[in-house]
Amino acid sequence: MIIIGEKINGAIPSTAKAIAAKDSEFIKNLAIKQAEAGADYIDVCASVDDDIELETMKWLIDIVQDATDVPIAVDSPNVYTCIESMKYCNKPGLFNSVSLEGDKVDVAFKVIADTKWECVALLNSDKGIPKTAKDRLDVFTDLMAKCKEYNIDPSRMHIDPLIEMLCTSEDGIAMVTEVIREIKKQYPSIHVTGAVSNISFNLPARRIANQAFAVLAMSAGMDSFILDPLNKDMMGMLFATEAMMGEDEYCMEYIGAFREGVFVK
Amino acid sequence: MSKIEDVKVLVETGKSKKVAAAVQEALDAGDKAQDILDAMIASMGVVGDKFSTGEIFVPEMLIAAKAMSKGVDVLKPIMAGDTSNSLGTCIMGTVAGDLHDIGKNLVIMMLESSGFDMVDLGVDVPAEKFVEAVKENDNVVLVACSGLLTTTMPALKEAVQTIKAACPEMKVIVGGAPVTQEYADEIGADGYAPDAGSSAAKAKELIGA
Repeated sequence: MIIIGEKINGAIPSTAKAIAAKDSEFIKNLAIKQAEAGADYIDVCASVDDDIELETMKWLIDIVQDATDVPIAVDSPNVYTCIESMKYCNKPGLFNSVSLEGDKVDVAFKVIADTKWECVALLNSDKGIPKTAKDRLDVFTDLMAKCKEYNIDPSRMHIDPLIEMLCTSEDGIAMVTEVIREIKKQYPSIHVTGAVSNISFNLPARRIANQAFAVLAMSAGMDSFILDPLNKDMMGMLFATEAMMGEDEYCMEYIGAFREGVFVK
Repeated sequence: MSKIEDVKVLVETGKSKKVAAAVQEALDAGDKAQDILDAMIASMGVVGDKFSTGEIFVPEMLIAAKAMSKGVDVLKPIMAGDTSNSLGTCIMGTVAGDLHDIGKNLVIMMLESSGFDMVDLGVDVPAEKFVEAVKENDNVVLVACSGLLTTTMPALKEAVQTIKAACPEMKVIVGGAPVTQEYADEIGADGYAPDAGSSAAKAKELIGA
């Protein structure tokens, strides 16, 4: 189970405010808190205008690295921003993200091929977000051909099957879980990731919907989660589900996380 | 920290993959097999106490016992044939009509860890079978009967009384969710323990170890 802490993201209003005000204490605190909560990666996404994106990324990454040893997920829709941001990192982290849009995947894979960096890949292409499981899996097939071409082992990949809001879906999450299952069947060592909170857009009591999704997605094979690790209910649910799935010998991970206060209020 | 202390910490924290090597290191450093075993038994005592006070959970107790058994495997060839370190044989089973074995297995594990040679009769054990086991096995010093259901409490009574009638000198210890000290006294058992964690201490007390 891999936890990618999502809180240092300019798309979140309080973080955006801190970035605008150059409030390094606020950012540092988010880094430390997420590290303490058990994040395996700390996602850093500036979400600012293009002309200041790189300098903002550097400023954020420096603060996070001063505060904690947790590796960084360099997060930008712009693949070149990710590539440049990698240079600010003092250890390999997570490249977030590539997709089959344009030449993104070639540009990124060239850079990360012979490194220890892992990589998030979204299953969309020049045709947008595929509507059916089959179409998404076709994109996945093309993506894995690229991995092979650049000699990137599947275990370094975190496939994001694209989690969309539940409230407009006709079949709940059946389509996305079908995609997850098939991905894991084809490549057991690959990671499947996703932004858990996408599921609950436009619904009340989002936290509950997010947890229900996490449990079912995990049961389908999702093992990497982009979320707020300070949400103890969600973290508890993930550890409990992992144990239920028989992936936690003697429930030691669950008990350990409980002892560390990861999911105890 | 001495090698024996290392072993103790590894047992208490259930590091089953590392215990064997640590036991070997202790032997290589000149520690006696018996002393290492005693140290591990003491560690399991600590684990049992922590479980009884609610400080640790069942899996942590299981994993500690697993770690200890890895350590014991290293000592076995050295201590083979030397029965002086055994507290004696204990016969254990869940009484007639009761199919629960999780609690029983935990107790077996704890008693084994504290130095008893355990004979497990399994679940749904008729009273006579306890008596037969006492007669068939060598050096039996204790019989342990568990009953997890209120409906099998009469069977617990029958088991204790049958054993006592056949072997008046034999010590009998009882336990299980619905069982209390009062009930144990009432049916003529020699001892009672509220949980697996405290069962080992009580068993040793009963045989005067």
